[in-house]
Amino acid sequence: MALKVVEEWVNACAGCEISILNMGDALIDLFPQLDFVHIPMLMDHKHYGQLGEKDVMDIPEADVGIITGAVRNEEHKHVAEEMRKKCKTIIALGSCATHGGIPAQANMFQKQDILEEIYGNSKTTTPSDIPSQNVPPWLDRVYAVDEVIKVDILVPGCPPHPVCIQDVIKDLLEGKTEWKLPERSVCDTCPTIREKKAIAGVVKRCFENLAFNPEEGPDKMRCINEQGFFCMGPVTLAGCAGRTGVPRCIAARMPCRGCFGPIRKGANPMVDMMGAMTSIGLDAKTLADRRAMLNRFIGAHNMLRPLPARPPRR
Amino acid sequence: MSDEYEPIIIGFLCNWCAYAGADLAGTSRIQYPPNIRIIRVMCSGMVHPNLVIHALTKGADGVLICGCHIGDCHYLEGNVKAQSRAEAIYLMLEDFGLEPERFRLEWISASEAGKFAQVVTEMTETLKALGPSPYSTRA
Amino acid sequence: MGKTITLQPVTRIEGHARIVIQLDDAGNVADTKMHVQSLRGFEKFCIGRPLEEMPRIATRICGLCCWAHHLAASKACDAIFEVEIPETARKLRRLMQNLAYIADKIWSFFYLAAPDFIMGPHAHYSKRNIFGILEQEPDIAKKAAHMRYICHMMIEHSVGRAIHPVAAVPGGFSKPMMEEERKELLSGAKELLEFCKLSLEYAKKNVFTKYEDLIKNLGTINTGFLGMVNDDGTLDFYDGKLRLMKPDGSNHEFGYQEYADHIAQHIEPWTYQRFPYAKKWGGFSINLENPVSIYRTNTLARINVCEKMATPLAQAELEEFRSKFGRPAQYTLLYHYARLIEMLQCAEQAVELLEDPKITGTDIRVKVEPKAGHAVGCVEDPRGTLIHDYEVDANGMITNVDIITGTTHNNAGINMSIKQAAITLIKNGQYDEGILNKIEMAIRAYDPCLSCATM
Ligand code: SF4
Ligand code: SF4
Ligand code: SF4
Ligand code: FES
Repeated sequence: MALKVVEEWVNACAGCEISILNMGDALIDLFPQLDFVHIPMLMDHKHYGQLGEKDVMDIPEADVGIITGAVRNEEHKHVAEEMRKKCKTIIALGSCATHGGIPAQANMFQKQDILEEIYGNSKTTTPSDIPSQNVPPWLDRVYAVDEVIKVDILVPGCPPHPVCIQDVIKDLLEGKTEWKLPERSVCDTCPTIREKKAIAGVVKRCFENLAFNPEEGPDKMRCINEQGFFCMGPVTLAGCAGRTGVPRCIAARMPCRGCFGPIRKGANPMVDMMGAMTSIGLDAKTLADRRAMLNRFIGAHNMLRPLPARPPRR
Repeated sequence: MSDEYEPIIIGFLCNWCAYAGADLAGTSRIQYPPNIRIIRVMCSGMVHPNLVIHALTKGADGVLICGCHIGDCHYLEGNVKAQSRAEAIYLMLEDFGLEPERFRLEWISASEAGKFAQVVTEMTETLKALGPSPYSTRA
Repeated sequence: MGKTITLQPVTRIEGHARIVIQLDDAGNVADTKMHVQSLRGFEKFCIGRPLEEMPRIATRICGLCCWAHHLAASKACDAIFEVEIPETARKLRRLMQNLAYIADKIWSFFYLAAPDFIMGPHAHYSKRNIFGILEQEPDIAKKAAHMRYICHMMIEHSVGRAIHPVAAVPGGFSKPMMEEERKELLSGAKELLEFCKLSLEYAKKNVFTKYEDLIKNLGTINTGFLGMVNDDGTLDFYDGKLRLMKPDGSNHEFGYQEYADHIAQHIEPWTYQRFPYAKKWGGFSINLENPVSIYRTNTLARINVCEKMATPLAQAELEEFRSKFGRPAQYTLLYHYARLIEMLQCAEQAVELLEDPKITGTDIRVKVEPKAGHAVGCVEDPRGTLIHDYEVDANGMITNVDIITGTTHNNAGINMSIKQAAITLIKNGQYDEGILNKIEMAIRAYDPCLSCATM
C-alpha cells in the first residue's frame, strides 16, 4: 500500500525540497509507493478549499507529514499544528526545521528591531510602517518545529543528504516510525590528516585558500582547524558525506560550518567547540563573531537570543 | 523582610574538599549570607559549563564552583579540568551578555571554612551591586 | 461588496502567498491582491557577520537560486576587498552558474509550469502536476528529472555542494578543476545541451503553438524591463551593466553599483514584499490602465533588453522569437518561452567554458585583506536581476545589507497580471477551479520565488 504523504515548507528556502529531488532516479522509483496528497511546491491542493470556500484550514490526512523550515510566524505555526492533527508521523526535514537553521540567526535580535530595519532602513525605500494587513504576524522568535508540535523524526542538514531522506522513506515504507543518524562527528567522516596540533594559535579568517595540493585528494590535506582556520567538524553531526563520501565542504576545500547541527541532543557546540579548539592550541577568543559562528544553524531552542538590554558592566 | 534585592547563587561544591569546608563553616557557626544554594558534586571537574550557563539563564544570579586545591583533587586532575573550562565559561558569559562577576571558581580545602564564608560574602556583595541576572524572571 | 475568493497557498511556485480576489455585487472583479506571507530578515541578521562569510550565509535565502546569491555575495566581497579575481576563477564561477541555472530552469519549466500546458489548465489538481506528466508523458518527464539531477551531480562532483554552494570565495574560487574532471563535465554538458535543444523543440510544438490564444491574453500587461548585458549588449548572467527599458522599447544603461539612483522601492501594508520601481520615470502606480514606473525582470525581460544572446543556437532562437512577438514582447506567458531560450544559452556556454583549456588553471584566488568599504554585487539570477549591497567596517564586519532579488522586481508585474487575468476571466460571479488555476498560471509565468522576495 502506498504511503500517503503531506509536505509543507514554512520558514524555508526550498533547498530541502531540491535535496529530496536529488535522490534522482531512486526517487522516481519510489514515486509509485508514495501518494502525495498535499504538497504546495508540486501540487495545487489548497488550504481553504479549491475555490477558496472554506473557513478553516484543511490539510488532508496522511501517514507522513514532512515539514521543512522553521516556525517564524503564526501561519507557520498553524500549518504545523494542522499537520500534527492530520499526520501519523511528522518529519522535521532540514536544519531549519530541526534547529532553526540560518534564518534563526534572527534570534540574536529583537523582532521589532528586525522589522524596523527591513521596512525602515533600506537604501531604496522611504521608511514605512511594517506591513500588517492580511499578512501573518511574526512570533517573538524563530522556533524549531519540535518546539511547537511533537516531532517523530528529525532529519538535520542544510540541506539533508538525499541518502538520509531515502533511508527515512524506506524505513517508513517498512513500517518503522523512528530514524536517527548515528552519533558521529563530521571529523569522524573526514579524511584529512590530523597531527593534534594547530600550526598557529590565532584563528585565521577565510581570506585565502587552504593549503592543499589539488592533484591530491583531501586525504592528503592537513585538517582545516590544524591549518588555523575555523572548522566546525569536531562538534557537528556527520551525515553530509552520504554513505561513503567526503564531508561536502571539505570536498570543496572549505571548512565545515556546522550545518547538520550538534552531534547529540542537548549538546552545546559553543562549549564543546571551545574545548576542541583548546585541545589543539587554537585560541577560541580570537574567533571572529564567535557567538553567531558557533550557532550558525542552531539558533532555535534558545541557543541564540537577543543580548540583555542592560549592557554588562566591566 | 527587607525589600532589598537578594541574589541567588548556585554553588557546585566538590564532595571531598569544598563541601567539607562548607560543612565546617556551618558546624563552626561561621556567619555567611544565606543567598547560596549548595549542590554537592563528586568533583569540580564534573560541572559542565552548560550547567553554569543553564543556571544563569534560568534564574540564578551567580554561580560558584568550588573544588580542592590544585594537586589535591580526589580524582587527580578534575580541578585542572574545571580550571581550563573556566576560560570557556567566561567567553560564553560574554556571548550571553552576562557580567563575568556572575561566575567564580575557587579552591577550598576541607579546613578552609573561613575562606568559604568569605567567598560567599564577597560574591553576594558583588551580585547585589550588579543587580539581578538579565535573564532573571523574578520581579 | 460581493464575495471574496481566497486562494491559499499559491501553488507550484516557491514560497508563501495568498491571492485575494474581491468581487463586487455583480460578481465582477473589484480588486485583487497577492499577499506575500513569509519574511525571514536576512537584511538585519547579516549585520555583524564577517564579510567573507556572506557567500555562505546568503545562499540560504533560496535553495533554488542559491548559486545566484552565492555569486552576488562573492562579487560584493571582491569589490569591497578591491580585488580583481583571476580569469580561471571567473570561468569556474560562470560554469557553475550556467550548470545551476540549467537545473533551475528544468525545474521551473517541467515541474512547475508544464502541468498547466500538458494536462491543461482545467485538469483536476490531483493530475495537473509532475506526477500527472510522469503518467501521461513518462519519456519527457523522466528525461527532464534525470537531466536536472545530472546538473546537480556534475556540480557536486566538482565542488562538493550543488545546493548552498561554498566554492566561490572572496577573491576567487576555493579549488581548481583537474583535467580529468573537465573531460567528465564536458561530456555531461554536451548531454545537457542536447536536452536543452530537445526541450525547446518539445515546448514549441506542444506548448507555445497550442496555447497561442492563452499566451496572447492571459495576464498580459505593459511594462518596462530590466536586465544585465555586457558591453556590446549581449545577455550576460554573471557580469555587465544594467539596462532599463521603457515600455516603448527605448532604454538606458547604468553600472549596477549605481542601482540606487535608478531603482526605488515602495511598501504596501498588505504584503511583506516590497515593490521596486523605476525611480526616474515619475511616481509609482500599479493601476492596470495606467501603470507608472513599473518594469519587470526575469527571462522575458532579459530577452527583451539584450541585443543578442551570447551563443549561436540561442541567438537563432531569439531571432525566431522576435520575428513572432516583436521587441519588447509583453505577453506574460512568454516568460516560459524565454526561459527555454536562456536554458539553451546556459548549456552552450557550459560546453564552451569546458572546452576552454584555461578552465583548468590553478591560479584561482587572490588573497584579500579586511578593510572598511561599501560595494554592490550583482548577477542575473534565474528570476531576475539580483542586487546585494553591503557595507563593512575596518575589521571587515558587516554594518549594513540591502538586497533586491529577481522576484522582488516583479512584484508589481505579478500583482498586475493577477488582476488582469482575474478581470478577464471572472464575469458575473462565474468561476471554477480551472479559471482560478488560470489566474495562478499568470503568476507561474514569472516563476516567482517568494522566499527570495522576502529574504
Ligand atoms: S535547512 Fe537549509 S536547505 Fe533546508 S530550508 Fe533551511 S536553509 Fe533551506
Ligand atoms: S576539523 Fe574539519 S578538517 Fe579537521 S578533521 Fe574535522 S572536519 Fe576535517
Ligand atoms: S561539512 Fe559541515 S557545513 Fe559542510 S555540509 Fe557537511 S556538515 Fe554541513
Ligand atoms: S574532588 Fe575536589 S576538585 Fe576534584
